[in-house]
Amino acid sequence: MKKALNLGIIFVMLVVLATACGSNNNINVTETTGEKNTPAATPDAPAAEPQKVELKVFMSYPQYKDVFEAYFEQFKAKQLAENNMDVTINVEMPNSDQAKQILDTRLATNDAPDLFTIHANDLPKYYNAGYLSDLSDQAAINSLFEPVKNTVTYDGKVVLLPFESSTWGYLYNKKIFADNGLTPPNTLDEMNVVVEKLKAANIAPFQLAFQESWVPQLMTAQALGSIVSSKNPDWITKMTAGEASYNDVAAIFDIIDLINANGTAKPFEVGNEAGAADFANGKSAMWVQGPWNADAILKVNPNFEIGVAALPVSNDPKDTMINLSTSTSLALSPTSKNKEVALDLLNYILDEQDSSALFEELKFNPISTVHNFEVKPWVKESSAYVADGQAYQDLSLPNGVTDEQAKLLQGYYAKSVTKEQFIETMDKAWAAAVKATAGN
Amino acid sequence: MRLTKNVKQVIILLAFVFPAILFYFVFVLAPTFGGVWYSLTNWNGLNPTYNLVGFSNYIEALTDDPYFLDSIWFTLKYVIFMVVLANFIAILLAVLIETQKRGKVWFRTIFFMPNMISLIIGGFMWMFIFTKVLPYIAENTIFHFLDQSWIGDTRFSFYTILILSLWSGVGYLMVIYIAALQGVPQQMKEAAAIDGANGIQTFLNVTLPMIYPALTIGLFVTLNNSFKVFEAVYALTGGGPGRATQVIALNIYEEAFMMSSRYGYASAKAMILFMIVFIVTLIQLWIMKRREVEA
Repeated sequence: MKKALNLGIIFVMLVVLATACGSNNNINVTETTGEKNTPAATPDAPAAEPQKVELKVFMSYPQYKDVFEAYFEQFKAKQLAENNMDVTINVEMPNSDQAKQILDTRLATNDAPDLFTIHANDLPKYYNAGYLSDLSDQAAINSLFEPVKNTVTYDGKVVLLPFESSTWGYLYNKKIFADNGLTPPNTLDEMNVVVEKLKAANIAPFQLAFQESWVPQLMTAQALGSIVSSKNPDWITKMTAGEASYNDVAAIFDIIDLINANGTAKPFEVGNEAGAADFANGKSAMWVQGPWNADAILKVNPNFEIGVAALPVSNDPKDTMINLSTSTSLALSPTSKNKEVALDLLNYILDEQDSSALFEELKFNPISTVHNFEVKPWVKESSAYVADGQAYQDLSLPNGVTDEQAKLLQGYYAKSVTKEQFIETMDKAWAAAVKATAGN
Repeated sequence: MRLTKNVKQVIILLAFVFPAILFYFVFVLAPTFGGVWYSLTNWNGLNPTYNLVGFSNYIEALTDDPYFLDSIWFTLKYVIFMVVLANFIAILLAVLIETQKRGKVWFRTIFFMPNMISLIIGGFMWMFIFTKVLPYIAENTIFHFLDQSWIGDTRFSFYTILILSLWSGVGYLMVIYIAALQGVPQQMKEAAAIDGANGIQTFLNVTLPMIYPALTIGLFVTLNNSFKVFEAVYALTGGGPGRATQVIALNIYEEAFMMSSRYGYASAKAMILFMIVFIVTLIQLWIMKRREVEA
């Protein structure tokens, strides 16, 4: 009796273990935060049986899940009507802080999604690992604006379809500027004047939100971008070859020191969301951030008037340029089993009839000739700089360099890192990053 | 085949332990062996190909990585504070609770509850307290000294992390010490009282030696966990500002998943952390076990 009872318990436990392991596998594959299976549309006409195709799409846009699902429904209807293909699209949309991990794991274990989004700055890393396919001859690519296409070209090939492209410098509170009779400055001296006037009116000139290290890093992105593009165009190639130093661009500290000295208090306790809330509530007049924060700001204060202007970095007005960058972009996996259909979906993102509605709803900038929708006022403002030729393409720095800059800027504000230490450490970090990418 | 009674018992024991051992092997041992393997390579976490580089990762970590060495010193400082303070407070609480006539269970529960809250959640709670509550109190009462940059100022962020870890960890140790205190025979304490010893003398000379095994465990657990501290720091300061509060685990995490994604190098650093913890706890256990026998 006892023997039977013991054996019975062991058996039950093993069965539970086996089912738990089994369902664990299922959970891992299908359930990352926010994933949903869109059911295939059942054809009602008993005509030729539609070919069933399954696509796996990985996007780090959980906030736009509904928009994309609706768009994919349109795509499926189109595919069914035109090519008699029944497409099931498995969309996976994890949170942005987990997305990179999950994607990297998928790619490294040969479980690549057919289409996936990455940040355009990571292009070299993924290209060198062989995870991107050449998209140069796709219809969607050929409809892109030239400057935008350049941001996703590497090694002579276009390997990504841009999604989110921004023109940015710094955000400013149009109402505060109007109330105090200010216009966006074009040189450092003019910026000093603006700062003094704001201080006299008891308004903090700059919003400082340094808790998340990527926010102070935007300052170097802007300052380096302007100075390198105007005065030292081949600085990056020279740095990679080990022939230049951050000392050559030490002028970036002029604007950085100005911002650090005239900002809101206790920046290390303010994250991006809190910073957006403070900025929207008029606690400060300017914020070195991009229009991707527009949603966060408008959520707090729907009547806020966002202005975008180019950040002056010197006393030469020609150095004051707007930054043109592409962030999230779509890639096609070379190991995809359904390349045709995946490419169709890729091209559909920039479809002549439907793409404008999609981009307008997502509040993304227009990136292609097929886009003909009304843009937000701040996009118009920053695009004016581009039209004037006062724009540069966002610098492509090695990943380790950007992260190191972020940390050092935090330390620089906290006065635990001096200018000389910053320059020295960044030079070393660049060399290490070059070695790390070259090593593979 | 007739199994002997002993063998049957062993098989039954193994069978019951089997699921736990399976999970332990799959989720702890196998990744550890994987980590040892990757620490000898220069994999960047993404590329399908990588090269074996032998021990160069280890040498680089110990000689050419000032951030790693800084993080070791910072963690060491944290460990010393944590070990001393956590055990001291835990013993204090245990003694206080044991001397209560009523409400023992109530106090025990209250002090143990923080241990049940995940450190990340606790971190967010304390973040709110440090960044919003304390400044508010400072503005509206006489306690103006509370208005500091608790998270951003490097002088204070060490103590905020310590406060969070103590708040969370003391309950666990306290329960261990309570159990040990309950095993001290009452006659010995009465005998000491008859001999004219006051409370503190009784505690130091009678009770403390008798709870020595619990002290060994308490020190071991605190040492072990303090070296590997991650969630408390990640939730409160993220290692910032800059790298002012970066502990070893955070340094390894950033090396592997941010910066240049040097997964192989980070695995080597993780192995070094393992060796540090291993050696330190071995020494600690050896010393205290010897004294235990004598006590």
